Amino acid sequence: MGKIPPSFRPAISNSLTRKLPLEPPTSIPHHSPEKTTKKKPPQHPKKPQASGKAEALFKSPDLSSAKKVFNYIVSTTKYSPDLRFHNTLLQSYASISTLNDSISLLHHMIKTQPSFSPDRSTHHVLLSQSCKAPDSSLSAVNQILNLMINNGLKPNQVTTDIAIRSLCEVGRIDHAVELVKELSLKQSPPDNYTFNLLVKNLCKCRTLSTVYSFIDHMKSSFGIKPDLVTYTILIDNVCTSKNLREAMRLVGVLNDSGFKPDCFVYNTIMKGYCMLSKGSEAIEVYKKMKEEGIEPDLVTYNTLIFGLSKSGRVKEAKKYLDILVESGHFPDAVTYTSLMNGMCREGNALGAMVLLEEMERKGCTPNSCTYNTLLHGLCKCRLMEKGMDLYGAMKLAGMKLETASYATLVRALCREGRVAEAYEVFDYAVESKSLTDVAAYSTLEVTLKWLKKAREQGLAV
Amino acid sequence: MLPQRLKKTITDNPKKLANLIDLANLPSPVREFVGQSQISRLGCFFRVWSYIKENNLQDPNNKNLVNCDEKLRSILLGKPQVELAELPALIKLHFPKVPK
Repeated sequence: MGKIPPSFRPAISNSLTRKLPLEPPTSIPHHSPEKTTKKKPPQHPKKPQASGKAEALFKSPDLSSAKKVFNYIVSTTKYSPDLRFHNTLLQSYASISTLNDSISLLHHMIKTQPSFSPDRSTHHVLLSQSCKAPDSSLSAVNQILNLMINNGLKPNQVTTDIAIRSLCEVGRIDHAVELVKELSLKQSPPDNYTFNLLVKNLCKCRTLSTVYSFIDHMKSSFGIKPDLVTYTILIDNVCTSKNLREAMRLVGVLNDSGFKPDCFVYNTIMKGYCMLSKGSEAIEVYKKMKEEGIEPDLVTYNTLIFGLSKSGRVKEAKKYLDILVESGHFPDAVTYTSLMNGMCREGNALGAMVLLEEMERKGCTPNSCTYNTLLHGLCKCRLMEKGMDLYGAMKLAGMKLETASYATLVRALCREGRVAEAYEVFDYAVESKSLTDVAAYSTLEVTLKWLKKAREQGLAV
Repeated sequence: MLPQRLKKTITDNPKKLANLIDLANLPSPVREFVGQSQISRLGCFFRVWSYIKENNLQDPNNKNLVNCDEKLRSILLGKPQVELAELPALIKLHFPKVPK
Protein backbone atom coordinates (compact mmCIF):
# COMPACT_ATOMS: atom_id res chain seq x y z
CA MET A 1 0.00 0.00 0.00
CA GLY A 2 1.59 3.33 0.90
CA LYS A 3 4.96 3.05 -0.68
CA ILE A 4 8.13 4.83 0.17
CA PRO A 5 10.00 6.09 -2.80
CA PRO A 6 13.55 4.84 -2.67
CA SER A 7 15.06 8.09 -1.58
CA PHE A 8 18.67 7.25 -2.12
CA ARG A 9 18.27 5.90 -5.65
CA PRO A 10 18.54 9.19 -7.49
CA ALA A 11 21.71 9.95 -5.62
CA ILE A 12 23.28 6.73 -6.72
CA SER A 13 22.13 6.07 -10.20
CA ASN A 14 21.63 9.49 -11.76
CA SER A 15 25.22 10.42 -11.37
CA LEU A 16 26.19 7.32 -13.25
CA THR A 17 24.58 8.17 -16.50
CA ARG A 18 26.79 11.17 -17.03
CA LYS A 19 29.77 9.22 -18.14
CA LEU A 20 28.26 6.99 -20.75
CA PRO A 21 29.96 8.09 -23.92
CA LEU A 22 27.72 6.07 -26.16
CA GLU A 23 24.89 7.53 -28.08
CA PRO A 24 21.49 6.56 -26.84
CA PRO A 25 20.99 3.13 -28.30
CA THR A 26 18.93 3.19 -31.42
CA SER A 27 15.72 1.31 -31.26
CA ILE A 28 15.71 -2.33 -32.10
CA PRO A 29 14.14 -2.90 -35.50
CA HIS A 30 10.49 -3.71 -35.17
CA HIS A 31 9.95 -4.87 -38.70
CA SER A 32 10.02 -8.53 -39.28
CA PRO A 33 12.82 -9.53 -41.60
CA GLU A 34 11.41 -9.37 -45.09
CA LYS A 35 12.62 -11.74 -47.70
CA THR A 36 12.73 -9.15 -50.45
CA THR A 37 15.07 -6.79 -48.69
CA LYS A 38 17.54 -9.52 -48.09
CA LYS A 39 18.82 -9.65 -51.65
CA LYS A 40 18.05 -6.13 -52.69
CA PRO A 41 18.78 -3.79 -49.85
CA PRO A 42 18.75 -0.60 -51.92
CA GLN A 43 15.00 -0.30 -51.64
CA HIS A 44 14.77 1.59 -48.45
CA PRO A 45 11.64 3.59 -48.04
CA LYS A 46 13.44 6.09 -45.85
CA LYS A 47 16.56 7.85 -46.92
CA PRO A 48 19.08 8.09 -44.15
CA GLN A 49 18.92 11.43 -42.40
CA ALA A 50 21.73 13.84 -42.96
CA SER A 51 22.26 14.01 -39.22
CA GLY A 52 23.58 10.48 -39.39
CA LYS A 53 20.87 9.03 -37.22
CA ALA A 54 20.11 5.45 -38.01
CA GLU A 55 16.56 4.31 -37.54
CA ALA A 56 16.24 0.58 -37.35
CA LEU A 57 18.23 0.12 -40.49
CA PHE A 58 19.32 -3.44 -40.15
CA LYS A 59 16.38 -5.67 -40.64
CA SER A 60 18.21 -8.95 -40.62
CA PRO A 61 21.04 -10.29 -38.47
CA ASP A 62 22.55 -11.71 -41.65
CA LEU A 63 26.07 -10.35 -42.17
CA SER A 64 26.15 -10.05 -45.95
CA SER A 65 22.90 -8.15 -46.11
CA ALA A 66 24.12 -5.92 -43.28
CA LYS A 67 27.22 -5.08 -45.31
CA LYS A 68 25.02 -4.17 -48.26
CA VAL A 69 22.85 -1.98 -46.09
CA PHE A 70 25.95 -0.26 -44.78
CA ASN A 71 27.36 0.30 -48.27
CA TYR A 72 24.05 1.67 -49.41
CA ILE A 73 23.79 4.11 -46.54
CA VAL A 74 27.33 5.34 -47.03
CA SER A 75 26.84 5.80 -50.77
CA THR A 76 23.63 7.80 -50.40
CA THR A 77 24.50 10.08 -47.52
CA LYS A 78 25.40 13.63 -48.49
CA TYR A 79 27.85 14.29 -45.69
CA SER A 80 31.01 12.45 -44.97
CA PRO A 81 30.21 9.95 -42.25
CA ASP A 82 31.91 10.67 -38.93
CA LEU A 83 32.76 8.51 -35.97
CA ARG A 84 29.37 8.81 -34.31
CA PHE A 85 27.71 7.82 -37.54
CA HIS A 86 29.68 4.61 -37.67
CA ASN A 87 29.15 3.89 -33.98
CA THR A 88 25.42 4.32 -34.33
CA LEU A 89 25.28 1.96 -37.26
CA LEU A 90 27.37 -0.59 -35.44
CA GLN A 91 25.20 -0.28 -32.35
CA SER A 92 22.07 -0.71 -34.40
CA TYR A 93 23.43 -3.87 -35.98
CA ALA A 94 24.84 -5.18 -32.67
CA SER A 95 21.39 -5.07 -31.13
CA ILE A 96 20.23 -7.87 -33.44
CA SER A 97 23.35 -9.73 -34.49
CA THR A 98 25.88 -12.06 -32.96
CA LEU A 99 29.17 -10.75 -31.62
CA ASN A 100 31.28 -12.26 -34.38
CA ASP A 101 29.09 -10.75 -37.07
CA SER A 102 29.41 -7.35 -35.39
CA ILE A 103 33.18 -7.67 -35.37
CA SER A 104 33.09 -8.61 -39.05
CA LEU A 105 30.94 -5.59 -39.83
CA LEU A 106 33.41 -3.37 -38.00
CA HIS A 107 36.23 -4.81 -40.10
CA HIS A 108 34.16 -4.20 -43.19
CA MET A 109 33.60 -0.58 -42.12
CA ILE A 110 37.31 -0.04 -41.60
CA LYS A 111 38.15 -1.59 -44.95
CA THR A 112 35.63 0.36 -47.00
CA GLN A 113 35.98 3.65 -45.14
CA PRO A 114 39.66 4.52 -44.79
CA SER A 115 38.75 7.78 -43.04
CA PHE A 116 37.08 5.88 -40.22
CA SER A 117 39.31 4.97 -37.35
CA PRO A 118 37.49 3.23 -34.54
CA ASP A 119 38.15 4.65 -31.09
CA ARG A 120 37.25 3.52 -27.60
CA SER A 121 33.56 4.22 -27.93
CA THR A 122 33.36 2.02 -31.03
CA HIS A 123 34.88 -0.83 -29.12
CA HIS A 124 32.55 -0.14 -26.22
CA VAL A 125 29.62 -0.93 -28.48
CA LEU A 126 31.07 -4.37 -29.06
CA LEU A 127 32.04 -4.74 -25.42
CA SER A 128 28.53 -4.04 -24.28
CA GLN A 129 27.23 -6.59 -26.78
CA SER A 130 29.67 -9.23 -25.59
CA CYS A 131 28.63 -8.65 -21.99
CA LYS A 132 24.94 -8.85 -22.71
CA ALA A 133 25.06 -12.16 -24.52
CA PRO A 134 24.44 -15.11 -22.23
CA ASP A 135 27.72 -16.92 -21.81
CA SER A 136 29.23 -19.35 -19.36
CA SER A 137 32.60 -17.63 -19.32
CA LEU A 138 34.20 -14.26 -19.89
CA SER A 139 36.01 -15.37 -23.05
CA ALA A 140 33.95 -13.19 -25.39
CA VAL A 141 34.44 -10.16 -23.16
CA ASN A 142 38.16 -10.79 -23.01
CA GLN A 143 38.21 -11.19 -26.77
CA ILE A 144 36.90 -7.64 -27.18
CA LEU A 145 39.23 -6.27 -24.51
CA ASN A 146 42.16 -7.87 -26.32
CA LEU A 147 40.92 -6.42 -29.60
CA MET A 148 40.97 -2.99 -27.95
CA ILE A 149 44.47 -3.44 -26.63
CA ASN A 150 45.70 -4.70 -29.99
CA ASN A 151 44.30 -1.56 -31.58
CA GLY A 152 46.32 0.48 -29.14
CA LEU A 153 43.42 1.44 -26.86
CA LYS A 154 43.95 0.78 -23.21
CA PRO A 155 40.75 0.04 -21.32
CA ASN A 156 39.90 2.92 -18.99
CA GLN A 157 37.33 3.53 -16.30
CA VAL A 158 34.58 4.04 -18.81
CA THR A 159 35.39 0.63 -20.31
CA THR A 160 35.15 -0.94 -16.88
CA ASP A 161 31.90 0.83 -16.17
CA ILE A 162 30.26 -0.25 -19.42
CA ALA A 163 31.33 -3.85 -19.02
CA ILE A 164 30.18 -4.09 -15.40
CA ARG A 165 26.94 -2.30 -16.09
CA SER A 166 26.10 -4.55 -19.02
CA LEU A 167 26.98 -7.69 -17.09
CA CYS A 168 24.84 -6.63 -14.14
CA GLU A 169 21.97 -5.75 -16.43
CA VAL A 170 21.70 -9.31 -17.65
CA GLY A 171 22.35 -10.82 -14.24
CA ARG A 172 25.91 -12.07 -14.77
CA ILE A 173 26.94 -10.94 -11.31
CA ASP A 174 29.69 -13.48 -10.74
CA HIS A 175 31.25 -12.58 -14.07
CA ALA A 176 31.06 -8.91 -13.16
CA VAL A 177 32.94 -9.55 -9.93
CA GLU A 178 35.51 -11.66 -11.76
CA LEU A 179 35.99 -8.98 -14.42
CA VAL A 180 36.33 -6.15 -11.93
CA LYS A 181 39.10 -8.01 -10.16
CA GLU A 182 40.78 -8.80 -13.46
CA LEU A 183 40.59 -5.22 -14.68
CA SER A 184 41.79 -3.89 -11.34
CA LEU A 185 44.86 -6.09 -11.71
CA LYS A 186 45.39 -4.65 -15.20
CA GLN A 187 45.52 -1.08 -13.87
CA SER A 188 41.99 -0.21 -14.89
CA PRO A 189 40.18 -0.20 -11.57
CA PRO A 190 36.56 0.83 -11.30
CA ASP A 191 35.71 4.31 -10.04
CA ASN A 192 33.31 4.82 -7.16
CA TYR A 193 30.23 4.84 -9.36
CA THR A 194 31.01 1.50 -10.95
CA PHE A 195 32.05 0.05 -7.63
CA ASN A 196 28.82 1.14 -5.96
CA LEU A 197 26.74 -0.15 -8.83
CA LEU A 198 28.32 -3.54 -8.43
CA VAL A 199 27.86 -3.50 -4.65
CA LYS A 200 24.22 -2.61 -5.13
CA ASN A 201 23.70 -5.48 -7.53
CA LEU A 202 25.59 -7.86 -5.29
CA CYS A 203 23.36 -6.89 -2.37
CA LYS A 204 20.31 -7.82 -4.38
CA CYS A 205 21.24 -11.41 -4.96
CA ARG A 206 24.10 -12.47 -2.71
CA THR A 207 24.51 -12.94 1.00
CA LEU A 208 25.75 -10.12 3.14
CA SER A 209 29.00 -11.95 3.89
CA THR A 210 29.73 -12.24 0.16
CA VAL A 211 29.23 -8.52 -0.24
CA TYR A 212 31.44 -7.75 2.75
CA SER A 213 34.21 -10.02 1.57
CA PHE A 214 34.07 -8.43 -1.88
CA ILE A 215 34.35 -4.96 -0.37
CA ASP A 216 37.22 -6.06 1.87
CA HIS A 217 38.99 -7.67 -1.06
CA MET A 218 38.71 -4.53 -3.19
CA LYS A 219 39.93 -2.42 -0.32
CA SER A 220 42.90 -4.56 0.68
CA SER A 221 44.04 -5.52 -2.82
CA PHE A 222 43.34 -2.44 -4.91
CA GLY A 223 42.78 0.33 -2.40
CA ILE A 224 39.22 0.99 -3.47
CA LYS A 225 37.50 2.26 -0.37
CA PRO A 226 33.78 2.28 0.23
CA ASP A 227 32.35 5.81 0.29
CA LEU A 228 29.23 7.28 1.83
CA VAL A 229 27.07 5.99 -1.01
CA THR A 230 28.43 2.47 -0.54
CA TYR A 231 27.48 2.61 3.12
CA THR A 232 24.05 3.94 2.25
CA ILE A 233 23.53 1.01 -0.10
CA LEU A 234 24.64 -1.43 2.58
CA ILE A 235 22.48 0.16 5.25
CA ASP A 236 19.51 0.12 2.93
CA ASN A 237 20.13 -3.52 2.18
CA VAL A 238 20.24 -4.59 5.82
CA CYS A 239 17.26 -2.39 6.66
CA THR A 240 15.25 -4.06 3.92
CA SER A 241 16.08 -7.42 5.41
CA LYS A 242 14.98 -6.01 8.77
CA ASN A 243 18.40 -6.39 10.32
CA LEU A 244 18.54 -3.08 12.14
CA ARG A 245 21.29 -4.13 14.52
CA GLU A 246 23.60 -4.56 11.58
CA ALA A 247 22.43 -1.19 10.24
CA MET A 248 23.45 0.46 13.51
CA ARG A 249 26.82 -1.27 13.36
CA LEU A 250 27.29 0.08 9.83
CA VAL A 251 26.45 3.58 10.99
CA GLY A 252 29.20 3.16 13.58
CA VAL A 253 31.67 1.99 10.92
CA LEU A 254 30.64 4.90 8.75
CA ASN A 255 31.35 7.35 11.55
CA ASP A 256 34.69 5.68 12.29
CA SER A 257 35.72 5.98 8.64
CA GLY A 258 35.28 9.71 8.94
CA PHE A 259 32.01 10.12 7.10
CA LYS A 260 29.15 12.17 8.37
CA PRO A 261 25.74 10.66 7.74
CA ASP A 262 23.77 12.76 5.28
CA CYS A 263 20.07 13.06 4.61
CA PHE A 264 20.01 9.89 2.52
CA VAL A 265 21.57 7.78 5.26
CA TYR A 266 19.08 9.07 7.83
CA ASN A 267 16.17 8.52 5.46
CA THR A 268 17.30 4.97 4.88
CA ILE A 269 17.56 4.18 8.57
CA MET A 270 14.21 5.78 9.19
CA LYS A 271 12.71 3.65 6.44
CA GLY A 272 14.10 0.59 8.17
CA TYR A 273 12.36 1.48 11.41
CA CYS A 274 9.15 2.39 9.65
CA MET A 275 8.96 -0.94 7.86
CA LEU A 276 9.08 -2.59 11.25
CA SER A 277 6.35 -0.22 12.46
CA LYS A 278 8.71 1.29 15.00
CA GLY A 279 7.28 4.78 15.04
CA SER A 280 9.08 6.05 18.14
CA GLU A 281 12.49 5.06 16.81
CA ALA A 282 11.68 6.78 13.52
CA ILE A 283 10.91 9.97 15.44
CA GLU A 284 14.22 9.54 17.27
CA VAL A 285 16.03 9.47 13.94
CA TYR A 286 14.18 12.61 12.92
CA LYS A 287 15.24 14.37 16.12
CA LYS A 288 18.81 13.21 15.66
CA MET A 289 18.82 14.70 12.18
CA LYS A 290 17.64 18.00 13.52
CA GLU A 291 20.33 17.91 16.23
CA GLU A 292 23.04 17.23 13.67
CA GLY A 293 21.80 20.16 11.64
CA ILE A 294 20.69 18.14 8.65
CA GLU A 295 17.62 19.52 6.98
CA PRO A 296 14.97 16.84 6.49
CA ASP A 297 13.60 16.67 2.94
CA LEU A 298 10.25 15.62 1.58
CA VAL A 299 11.29 11.98 1.61
CA THR A 300 12.11 12.21 5.31
CA TYR A 301 8.67 13.53 6.10
CA ASN A 302 6.95 11.06 3.81
CA THR A 303 8.79 8.21 5.45
CA LEU A 304 7.92 9.45 8.89
CA ILE A 305 4.26 9.96 8.02
CA PHE A 306 4.17 6.52 6.43
CA GLY A 307 5.75 4.89 9.46
CA LEU A 308 3.54 6.62 11.99
CA SER A 309 0.41 5.85 9.99
CA LYS A 310 1.48 2.25 9.71
CA SER A 311 1.93 1.90 13.44
CA GLY A 312 -1.47 3.43 14.09
CA ARG A 313 -0.37 6.91 15.11
CA VAL A 314 -2.28 8.91 12.55
CA LYS A 315 -2.68 11.92 14.82
CA GLU A 316 1.07 12.37 15.10
CA ALA A 317 1.45 11.70 11.42
CA LYS A 318 -0.89 14.60 10.72
CA LYS A 319 1.22 16.80 12.95
CA TYR A 320 4.21 16.06 10.75
CA LEU A 321 2.16 16.92 7.70
CA ASP A 322 1.78 20.41 9.19
CA ILE A 323 5.50 20.62 9.93
CA LEU A 324 6.20 19.50 6.37
CA VAL A 325 4.11 22.33 4.97
CA GLU A 326 5.63 24.84 7.40
CA SER A 327 9.13 23.96 6.27
CA GLY A 328 8.24 24.81 2.72
CA HIS A 329 7.64 21.42 1.15
CA PHE A 330 4.57 20.43 -0.81
CA PRO A 331 2.89 17.21 0.27
CA ASP A 332 2.65 14.82 -2.68
CA ALA A 333 0.59 11.75 -3.50
CA VAL A 334 2.84 9.60 -1.31
CA THR A 335 2.24 11.82 1.71
CA TYR A 336 -1.52 11.74 1.32
CA THR A 337 -1.66 8.07 0.48
CA SER A 338 0.34 7.19 3.60
CA LEU A 339 -2.07 9.19 5.73
CA MET A 340 -5.08 7.61 4.07
CA ASN A 341 -3.53 4.23 4.67
CA GLY A 342 -3.29 5.05 8.36
CA MET A 343 -6.85 6.29 8.54
CA CYS A 344 -8.16 3.21 6.74
CA ARG A 345 -6.29 1.02 9.20
CA GLU A 346 -8.15 2.77 11.98
CA GLY A 347 -11.39 2.00 10.20
CA ASN A 348 -11.88 5.62 9.24
CA ALA A 349 -12.33 5.17 5.50
CA LEU A 350 -14.74 8.08 5.33
CA GLY A 351 -12.10 10.36 6.81
CA ALA A 352 -9.72 9.11 4.15
CA MET A 353 -12.27 10.02 1.49
CA VAL A 354 -12.43 13.54 2.93
CA LEU A 355 -8.66 13.68 2.71
CA LEU A 356 -8.91 12.66 -0.94
CA GLU A 357 -11.09 15.68 -1.58
CA GLU A 358 -8.66 17.93 0.26
CA MET A 359 -5.79 16.49 -1.71
CA GLU A 360 -7.49 17.11 -5.02
CA ARG A 361 -8.50 20.59 -3.95
CA LYS A 362 -4.87 21.39 -3.31
CA GLY A 363 -3.98 20.31 -6.81
CA CYS A 364 -2.29 17.03 -5.95
CA THR A 365 -3.29 14.24 -8.29
CA PRO A 366 -4.00 10.89 -6.65
CA ASN A 367 -2.26 7.92 -8.22
CA SER A 368 -3.27 4.30 -8.53
CA CYS A 369 -1.75 3.53 -5.13
CA THR A 370 -4.02 6.16 -3.56
CA TYR A 371 -7.09 4.63 -5.14
CA ASN A 372 -6.08 1.11 -4.20
CA THR A 373 -5.56 2.19 -0.58
CA LEU A 374 -8.98 3.80 -0.48
CA LEU A 375 -10.69 0.88 -2.19
CA HIS A 376 -9.14 -1.49 0.30
CA GLY A 377 -10.21 0.72 3.20
CA LEU A 378 -13.77 1.21 1.97
CA CYS A 379 -14.29 -2.51 1.44
CA LYS A 380 -12.89 -3.28 4.87
CA CYS A 381 -15.32 -0.82 6.41
CA ARG A 382 -18.13 -2.42 4.38
CA LEU A 383 -18.90 0.80 2.58
CA MET A 384 -19.64 -1.08 -0.61
CA GLU A 385 -21.49 1.65 -2.50
CA LYS A 386 -18.63 4.10 -2.16
CA GLY A 387 -16.21 1.30 -2.86
CA MET A 388 -17.95 0.37 -6.10
CA ASP A 389 -18.04 4.04 -7.16
CA LEU A 390 -14.32 4.25 -6.61
CA TYR A 391 -13.78 0.99 -8.46
CA GLY A 392 -15.78 2.40 -11.36
CA ALA A 393 -13.56 5.48 -11.43
CA MET A 394 -10.44 3.31 -11.37
CA LYS A 395 -11.79 1.23 -14.22
CA LEU A 396 -12.51 4.34 -16.27
CA ALA A 397 -8.98 5.53 -15.73
CA GLY A 398 -7.60 2.10 -16.62
CA MET A 399 -5.84 1.78 -13.28
CA LYS A 400 -4.51 -1.52 -12.12
CA LEU A 401 -5.77 -3.24 -9.01
CA GLU A 402 -3.27 -4.27 -6.39
CA THR A 403 -3.38 -7.76 -4.95
CA ALA A 404 -4.71 -6.70 -1.56
CA SER A 405 -7.42 -4.36 -2.80
CA TYR A 406 -8.51 -6.86 -5.44
CA ALA A 407 -8.84 -9.62 -2.86
CA THR A 408 -10.69 -7.39 -0.42
CA LEU A 409 -13.09 -6.17 -3.08
CA VAL A 410 -13.86 -9.68 -4.33
CA ARG A 411 -14.40 -10.90 -0.82
CA ALA A 412 -16.61 -7.99 0.18
CA LEU A 413 -18.77 -8.48 -2.91
CA CYS A 414 -19.12 -12.21 -2.32
CA ARG A 415 -20.03 -11.62 1.29
CA GLU A 416 -22.97 -9.51 0.16
CA GLY A 417 -23.98 -12.20 -2.31
CA ARG A 418 -22.89 -10.15 -5.30
CA VAL A 419 -21.00 -13.01 -6.91
CA ALA A 420 -21.66 -11.85 -10.47
CA GLU A 421 -20.02 -8.52 -9.68
CA ALA A 422 -17.09 -10.33 -8.12
CA TYR A 423 -16.71 -12.21 -11.41
CA GLU A 424 -16.78 -8.90 -13.21
CA VAL A 425 -13.96 -7.59 -10.99
CA PHE A 426 -12.07 -10.80 -11.72
CA ASP A 427 -12.51 -10.17 -15.44
CA TYR A 428 -11.22 -6.63 -15.05
CA ALA A 429 -8.20 -7.76 -13.06
CA VAL A 430 -7.30 -10.27 -15.74
CA GLU A 431 -8.01 -7.90 -18.61
CA SER A 432 -6.03 -5.01 -17.11
CA LYS A 433 -3.21 -7.43 -16.26
CA SER A 434 -3.31 -6.25 -12.64
CA LEU A 435 -2.47 -9.72 -11.44
CA THR A 436 -1.45 -12.92 -13.09
CA ASP A 437 -4.33 -15.11 -14.21
CA VAL A 438 -3.33 -17.65 -11.61
CA ALA A 439 -3.31 -15.15 -8.75
CA ALA A 440 -6.61 -13.60 -9.81
CA TYR A 441 -8.28 -16.97 -10.17
CA SER A 442 -6.99 -18.53 -6.98
CA THR A 443 -8.20 -15.52 -5.00
CA LEU A 444 -11.62 -15.90 -6.56
CA GLU A 445 -11.67 -19.64 -5.98
CA VAL A 446 -10.57 -19.40 -2.36
CA THR A 447 -13.10 -16.67 -1.70
CA LEU A 448 -15.93 -18.71 -3.16
CA LYS A 449 -14.85 -21.69 -1.10
CA TRP A 450 -14.90 -19.49 1.97
CA LEU A 451 -18.32 -18.19 0.96
CA LYS A 452 -19.70 -21.71 0.82
CA LYS A 453 -18.46 -22.40 4.32
CA ALA A 454 -19.76 -19.09 5.62
CA ARG A 455 -23.16 -19.81 4.13
CA GLU A 456 -23.29 -23.19 5.77
CA GLN A 457 -22.64 -21.51 9.07
CA GLY A 458 -25.21 -18.88 8.28
CA LEU A 459 -22.64 -16.07 8.22
CA ALA A 460 -23.18 -14.79 4.71
CA VAL A 461 -26.00 -14.27 2.28
CA MET B 1 -12.32 -13.29 7.38
CA LEU B 2 -9.68 -15.05 5.41
CA PRO B 3 -6.24 -14.69 6.91
CA GLN B 4 -3.97 -12.54 4.81
CA ARG B 5 -1.26 -15.15 4.75
CA LEU B 6 -3.40 -17.88 3.24
CA LYS B 7 -3.99 -16.00 0.04
CA LYS B 8 -0.31 -15.58 -0.55
CA THR B 9 0.55 -19.19 -0.01
CA ILE B 10 -1.68 -20.39 -2.80
CA THR B 11 0.24 -18.66 -5.53
CA ASP B 12 3.52 -19.46 -3.81
CA ASN B 13 2.79 -23.11 -3.25
CA PRO B 14 4.21 -24.98 -6.24
CA LYS B 15 1.99 -27.98 -5.72
CA LYS B 16 -1.22 -25.99 -5.72
CA LEU B 17 0.04 -23.93 -8.61
CA ALA B 18 0.82 -27.05 -10.63
CA ASN B 19 -2.62 -28.36 -9.83
CA LEU B 20 -4.00 -25.21 -11.43
CA ILE B 21 -1.88 -24.83 -14.54
CA ASP B 22 -0.72 -28.32 -15.48
CA LEU B 23 -2.36 -29.84 -18.50
CA ALA B 24 -4.59 -32.74 -17.65
CA ASN B 25 -6.19 -35.40 -19.82
CA LEU B 26 -9.88 -34.75 -20.01
CA PRO B 27 -12.87 -37.06 -19.62
CA SER B 28 -14.96 -37.20 -22.79
CA PRO B 29 -17.75 -34.70 -22.00
CA VAL B 30 -15.26 -31.98 -21.17
CA ARG B 31 -13.16 -32.94 -24.17
CA GLU B 32 -16.13 -32.26 -26.40
CA PHE B 33 -16.88 -28.97 -24.65
CA VAL B 34 -13.42 -27.47 -24.97
CA GLY B 35 -12.61 -29.17 -28.25
CA GLN B 36 -9.20 -30.42 -27.17
CA SER B 37 -8.00 -33.43 -25.27
CA GLN B 38 -5.88 -31.62 -22.70
CA ILE B 39 -6.36 -28.40 -20.77
CA SER B 40 -5.39 -26.98 -17.42
CA ARG B 41 -7.93 -26.37 -14.71
CA LEU B 42 -7.38 -22.64 -15.06
CA GLY B 43 -7.81 -22.81 -18.83
CA CYS B 44 -10.96 -24.84 -18.44
CA PHE B 45 -12.43 -22.29 -16.06
CA PHE B 46 -11.68 -19.47 -18.50
CA ARG B 47 -13.33 -21.43 -21.32
CA VAL B 48 -16.48 -22.14 -19.36
CA TRP B 49 -16.75 -18.61 -17.99
CA SER B 50 -16.31 -16.99 -21.38
CA TYR B 51 -18.79 -19.47 -22.85
CA ILE B 52 -21.33 -18.31 -20.27
CA LYS B 53 -20.66 -14.69 -21.09
CA GLU B 54 -20.72 -15.14 -24.86
CA ASN B 55 -24.02 -16.97 -24.80
CA ASN B 56 -25.64 -14.73 -22.19
CA LEU B 57 -26.41 -17.65 -19.96
CA GLN B 58 -26.58 -15.64 -16.77
CA ASP B 59 -30.11 -15.35 -15.46
CA PRO B 60 -31.38 -11.87 -16.37
CA ASN B 61 -33.18 -11.54 -13.02
CA ASN B 62 -30.33 -12.79 -10.89
CA LYS B 63 -26.91 -12.53 -12.42
CA ASN B 64 -25.52 -14.88 -9.80
CA LEU B 65 -27.31 -17.78 -11.46
CA VAL B 66 -26.44 -19.48 -14.70
CA ASN B 67 -29.11 -21.15 -16.80
CA CYS B 68 -27.24 -23.99 -18.40
CA ASP B 69 -27.79 -24.83 -22.02
CA GLU B 70 -27.47 -28.34 -23.40
CA LYS B 71 -23.73 -28.09 -23.87
CA LEU B 72 -23.00 -26.60 -20.47
CA ARG B 73 -25.23 -29.09 -18.73
CA SER B 74 -23.13 -31.94 -20.10
CA ILE B 75 -20.13 -30.85 -18.07
CA LEU B 76 -21.85 -29.44 -14.97
CA LEU B 77 -23.46 -32.59 -13.57
CA GLY B 78 -26.52 -32.14 -15.77
CA LYS B 79 -27.87 -29.35 -13.60
CA PRO B 80 -30.34 -27.04 -15.34
CA GLN B 81 -29.23 -24.10 -13.21
CA VAL B 82 -26.02 -23.51 -11.29
CA GLU B 83 -24.78 -20.72 -9.07
CA LEU B 84 -21.80 -18.76 -10.27
CA ALA B 85 -20.31 -19.26 -6.84
CA GLU B 86 -20.08 -23.02 -7.29
CA LEU B 87 -18.56 -22.87 -10.76
CA PRO B 88 -14.93 -23.42 -9.71
CA ALA B 89 -15.91 -26.36 -7.52
CA LEU B 90 -17.94 -27.96 -10.31
CA ILE B 91 -15.09 -27.62 -12.75
CA LYS B 92 -12.68 -29.04 -10.23
CA LEU B 93 -14.68 -32.27 -10.25
CA HIS B 94 -13.27 -33.01 -13.69
CA PHE B 95 -9.74 -32.64 -12.41
CA PRO B 96 -9.31 -35.33 -9.80
CA LYS B 97 -6.16 -35.32 -7.70
CA VAL B 98 -3.47 -37.43 -9.26
CA PRO B 99 -2.05 -39.81 -6.68
CA LYS B 100 1.71 -40.00 -6.88
